[in-house]
Amino acid sequence: MARFASVLLAGVALAVATCGAFAASIGSDEWTAYKDRFLEPSGRIVDTANGNISHSEGQGYGLLLAYLADSRGDFDTIWAFTRTEMLLRDDGLAVWRWDPAAKPHVTDANNATDGDLLIAYAAALAGRDWQRPDLTAAATAMASALASGSLDEVGGSVLLKPANSGFGARDRPDGPVFNPSYWVFEALPVMASLVPEGPWSQLAEGGNRLIAAAAKIGVSELPPDWVSLKAAPAPADGFPQEFGYNAIRIPLYLIRAGIGDRTLLETFQRHMTDPQGRLLLVDVQTGATRQTLADPGYRAIPALIGCVLDRTPLAADLSTFSVTDYYPSTLHLLSLSFVRRRHPECL
Amino acid sequence: MPVRPTLLLTAVVAAAGALLVQQADLNPFAEREYPFSTSVTDQATSTGPVVANRAVPARDTPESGAVVPAAAPERIPRAAPTSEGDTQIAQTPQTSPPARDTTVQPGIPAVDETALRYFAARGDSRRLEAEIARLRALYPQWTPPDDPLAALPQGDSELDAMWRLYAEGKMAEVRKAIADRQAREPNWQVPADLLDRLQLGEAREQLVNASEIKQFDTVVRVAASNPAMLTCGDVDVLWRVAEAFAQTDRKPRAVDAYQYILANCERPEERLATVQKAMDLLPRSDLEQLLAAGRMVDGRPEFEAVRGEMARRALVEADADPSIVVSPADLALVETLATDAGAESDYLLLGWYYLRRDNPRVAEDWFRKARAKQNDAASAQGLALALVNQDKPQEAESILYEWRNASEDVRAVYLAAVANMLALLPPPQFSAEVLQRVVAEVVEARDAGSAQQLGWYADNFNQFETAEQWFRTALDWKPDDEPSAYGLALMRWKLGDLAGAREVQVAWAGRSERIPTVGEPSVETAAIGVRQRRQVEVGRADEPAALRPVQTTVAVASDGLDRPAAVLRPAAQDAPPRRRASPAAASASQPAEQPRRSSARQTTDRPRTAGCRTTEDPEGLSPAAALNRGWCLMNANRPIEAAAAFEVALRGHGQTRDDAAYGQSLAYMRAGLTDRAAVAATKAPIGATRGAEINAAILAARANSAYQNGRYMETILALDERTRFAPEQTDLMVLRGYAYLNLVRYGDAERIFRAAASTGNRDAMRGLNDLRAARQPDPDG
Repeated sequence: MARFASVLLAGVALAVATCGAFAASIGSDEWTAYKDRFLEPSGRIVDTANGNISHSEGQGYGLLLAYLADSRGDFDTIWAFTRTEMLLRDDGLAVWRWDPAAKPHVTDANNATDGDLLIAYAAALAGRDWQRPDLTAAATAMASALASGSLDEVGGSVLLKPANSGFGARDRPDGPVFNPSYWVFEALPVMASLVPEGPWSQLAEGGNRLIAAAAKIGVSELPPDWVSLKAAPAPADGFPQEFGYNAIRIPLYLIRAGIGDRTLLETFQRHMTDPQGRLLLVDVQTGATRQTLADPGYRAIPALIGCVLDRTPLAADLSTFSVTDYYPSTLHLLSLSFVRRRHPECL
Repeated sequence: MPVRPTLLLTAVVAAAGALLVQQADLNPFAEREYPFSTSVTDQATSTGPVVANRAVPARDTPESGAVVPAAAPERIPRAAPTSEGDTQIAQTPQTSPPARDTTVQPGIPAVDETALRYFAARGDSRRLEAEIARLRALYPQWTPPDDPLAALPQGDSELDAMWRLYAEGKMAEVRKAIADRQAREPNWQVPADLLDRLQLGEAREQLVNASEIKQFDTVVRVAASNPAMLTCGDVDVLWRVAEAFAQTDRKPRAVDAYQYILANCERPEERLATVQKAMDLLPRSDLEQLLAAGRMVDGRPEFEAVRGEMARRALVEADADPSIVVSPADLALVETLATDAGAESDYLLLGWYYLRRDNPRVAEDWFRKARAKQNDAASAQGLALALVNQDKPQEAESILYEWRNASEDVRAVYLAAVANMLALLPPPQFSAEVLQRVVAEVVEARDAGSAQQLGWYADNFNQFETAEQWFRTALDWKPDDEPSAYGLALMRWKLGDLAGAREVQVAWAGRSERIPTVGEPSVETAAIGVRQRRQVEVGRADEPAALRPVQTTVAVASDGLDRPAAVLRPAAQDAPPRRRASPAAASASQPAEQPRRSSARQTTDRPRTAGCRTTEDPEGLSPAAALNRGWCLMNANRPIEAAAAFEVALRGHGQTRDDAAYGQSLAYMRAGLTDRAAVAATKAPIGATRGAEINAAILAARANSAYQNGRYMETILALDERTRFAPEQTDLMVLRGYAYLNLVRYGDAERIFRAAASTGNRDAMRGLNDLRAARQPDPDG
């Protein structure tokens, strides 16, 4: 595990060095296409495939993409909404869900730690690169809140609770429950720069361990979206027992964080992809395919693995961005942005 | 987790970048610790409140409608030309107020009136007003322009658009417009006023949103970082902050916030609402402080209505918790309000209050007023409860009947009224209609308690079969209901169904002490007998409808009087009645002697003294002496005096007391006061045998007396009840036969006469003759 940590930190050093000369890695046309579809003038990122609600994750992605597109105006729009409508919790973290149809729009004051991490991460990057102390301060506050309220320790590993309440050993019969795709690994060193006291590298280590352990649950060799650690790792109750929409981001996050563990990434690639390069949602116990996703945003993930491991060029429809639904579009832009910055040879 | 918790606070505060008031004289909250001062920190960010950059001259008195002073003077304000000319630079340190000479304009700093003029141009009077209030607070010497439309800023259409977005509440879009323009024009300076307003607007949204989902720490934090939004122009925010304080155990701060509104804000409806909101959050003592800040309006206290509401709430709280003492002033106020305004809700409130304070009489009055105002389930329920508590369940039942299905609560009260009504002593005669509906409700509700009461009710009217069925029904509904099982066993025993009674006794063996005693003359049955015995006010010989209480139901319909003759265990004793007209005369002279005869040993063993020849107040005697005197007086046939002596003897203990009760029963009985005899019999355990004797004697006397008074139905009832304690003697059977005869129940009469005649009783034979004569009018006559 020490190896992971050092790899991680090396990646950070690189990132910091390159970010000094900031250049957009998402084109303005791409960003415009994205925001025209998913960003309301109010600053709300709309989950088009999910009842047009918003969530902290979406706001976090929106901020990160706006930052990567160097679109300060849009960033400020999204930030304004995020701050006034979602950063409402007493602990300084974001409420996870915002429903345009509900009044008040926030019906559940719980948080989602991946959303919090993404928001804090994007704010920290923008604060640093755009010289915006207000954003840095906000990011620091969130990092501090995450460190003090959102971490758990299971079997000696520091883990990220999916939310500050509701998933612990006392909250559910199969608790504690974790979501390995909530580890936005690339954000952790940034959090460490803001709040050095936090156990961020241990958290990264814990995430890697969790992913490795969860991948051993069934014959699929893929981790399920939600993992119970009450006893031996097992799919959590009440969620699809599958490598699903959540977990497909895991390789993306690993790669973006510079954690290029070949064995792990190859395993993902092998089991989450069909011969046409489409992405598979898989029953973790049986290995059976539950769903096949052909959207370019989804296919970009195994393609990204191929690029990182083998310099395999991206297919034509993957190397350009066309907007689809909120989630695959987001994954696509995050993949493209990374390839452009680190592996332009794949384009 | 190894992270210092303080980090969070520091970081958040730093992010907010607040710079807070430190001048006590500016601060309405300053008498205590400033409510937001815990998070004072230095301005840390570039987008922190620009308000902090502004000079805020000290003021002597806060102007009404003014903002809470937002920031301490920190810098000399921007140098700017004034309207008077270009020589006046704002060189005067603004922290020292200039002379309050309204004609002196030169010392006034440049006031950015862009927003003001913009709102004026849009006709947005609410925002215009708020902006004027804000600017006034910032610049006390400043006076609003006479014509805000006069100098609308021209020429910067982009900025204009930003203001428009701001006015439309589109904060995020203003942010975007600013960032976009800054990207295009790096030298463009955002007007500080716009940034101020934007910051406050966003903070307000965040605060309101956090308040909506009860994130009260966030509310306080945002307010602390943006004190400039705490203005009378936006009282809602002040309310929310006060609520956040109150909800996070900082009630004194909440009081401060409310006090601030009352001291500074003018709109009457907002002032009133302030106190009303406080009422939900603060204890009474704090509220009194706030009420004291009220003014006189048109000669009346401003918060008069609130005071009434507070008094009402005091009553509501007292209703929930009987230990709460309501002040007489509150009570009087609500009564006045109720009387003056005549609102049903006030009447009800008072009704419930008095009901819970064990004053159903007064409660009844208020509920009646409520019901007169509005006959609904609430007033009927209250009134019914008040009546039940005054032992008037019949009226309660009739009042509540129409609302019985209004709610679970009402239904429960209705059934309670029914149960109480059936348990009334003496049992009233209910009309067929009432019985019918009551029975229907009991059956529908499967209310075992009421079914049991129906059993006792039927028993009271000697409808033992009916009673038996009701007890059985009650047990069906509630199999562990011991009283119903007891009733069932007792009824079966009375019906002569000894096997049935035994069946119950076996089933309840070990689970009930009294069920096994059914059928034995015992203290328990004696006591029950007394409890159940009623001075049945039948009044006339025709059988009242009420005697068939449950004929209206299919399940348990029965005519209780049609009992098998087997119950009437004839005895061999020969005591002939003299004639049909008064067959009881012979028996009537005897009953007091009967128990004495059968317990001769006990009575004859009593010491006799001559000490009772004189008239003497027994009060001064010891119980033992009084007991002796009682027996002495009995021997002297002075039963009234004897009863008084026994009364004194009852103060004794053990055997003395028991004997006294027995003696007093005998004394009353001899005096013809059978009811008193019955009461006396309950005063002490008089022993199983004696108890049964006395009760049997009492009932025999009562039967005779009733017969002589022509109350034949009552005769039957007394005799029926007597069978619980003793077999029916032949002479009493003859009495019963004549009672039936007089009731024109020839079949019953014949059955009884025959049974008695079979023992050779000549009176019974004569009874048969009389019966024949009655059936066939004398052909010679």
